[in-house]
Amino acid sequence: MTTRQLTLCAVLTALALALSYLENFIPLNLFIPLPGVKLGLANIVTVFALYALGAGPALTILIARCLLGAIFAGNLNALIFSLMGGLAAMLVMIVLSKMKKLSIYGVSMGGAAAHNCGQIGAALLTLGNSAPLNYLPVLLGVSVFTGALTGLIASLLFRAMERTNLMKA
Amino acid sequence: MKSSVKLTFCRWDLIVAALILTAAGVLAAGYWGRTLAVGSSSLTAVVSAGGQETDRVRLASLSGAQERTYSSNGYTLTVRFSPDGVAVETSDCPNQDCVHTGTISRAGQSIVCLPARISIQLTGQSGSGDADVVIG
Repeated sequence: MTTRQLTLCAVLTALALALSYLENFIPLNLFIPLPGVKLGLANIVTVFALYALGAGPALTILIARCLLGAIFAGNLNALIFSLMGGLAAMLVMIVLSKMKKLSIYGVSMGGAAAHNCGQIGAALLTLGNSAPLNYLPVLLGVSVFTGALTGLIASLLFRAMERTNLMKA
Repeated sequence: MKSSVKLTFCRWDLIVAALILTAAGVLAAGYWGRTLAVGSSSLTAVVSAGGQETDRVRLASLSGAQERTYSSNGYTLTVRFSPDGVAVETSDCPNQDCVHTGTISRAGQSIVCLPARISIQLTGQSGSGDADVVIG
C-alpha cells in the first residue's frame, strides 16, 4: 500500500465516522419507527472505497469505522450491530461489484439490504427471540430507497473526483 | 482507481431493486397471514428481557389499562397493557424507537427496545374463539 492510499484510507475512515455521527441528527425513525432504520450515509464511503481502493482497504476502513464508532460513542453493545450489518453489506457488495452489468446503484441497494439483514441477525442474537424478524419486510423495502440514495451520492462523488487528479495512481 | 465503475442507473439495477422488494413482499405476506389468522380475544403479550421471558399478560383478561415497569441492561420501560393492545409509554433509552412504535394490537406484532434488550411480542392461537357472527 502506498502512502497516498494509506492517507486516503485514513481520510475515508474519518469521513465515515463523521457521516455516522451526522446521521444521528436525521430523525428518520420519527417517520419509520423501527429499530435500525437509517439512511446508511457511511455506506457511501464503503462503496467509494470498494471501487477506488479495492476490497481489502474497504474492509479495513469498515472495521476501523465500526471499532472507533463504538469506542467514541462509549457503546460497545452497538459494535455487534455495526459489524454484522457492515460485514454483510461488504460481502454482498464485493460479489455484486464483480457483476459488470450492475451500476453503483444496484451494488449500493444490495449492500443496504444486506446491511439490514445483518443488523436483524445481530438483534436476533442480542434479544434471543424472533421478535426482530417482524421488522425485516419493512427494513428491506426501505433499503431499496436508502441504497439508491447512497448510490446516487457515491456516483456524484465519483463524477466530482474524476475532475481532480486525486484518484490517479 | 482499482476497477471501472458504472455510474448511471440501468435495468440490471432495477432487477436488484425488484428482487429486494419481492423478498420484502413475500416476508410481509407471511407476516400478515399469521397476524390476520388470530382473533383479538386470544392475545397474550409476552415480555422478554435479555432473551429470558419475564412476564406474560393475557389482554382479554384485563378490565382496563394497566401499566407495568421493566428494567434491563440499565434502562427502564413503562409498558401500558389494555384489552385493545400494548404500547411502551415511556423509556429512558437513547433512541426511543420502542416509544415511537406506538400501540400493537395484532398477533405477531412486536415492540423491541434494543438498548434495553427488551421485546414485547403479541401471541395468539388461530380460530380460538373469535366469532365473526353470533346467531341466536
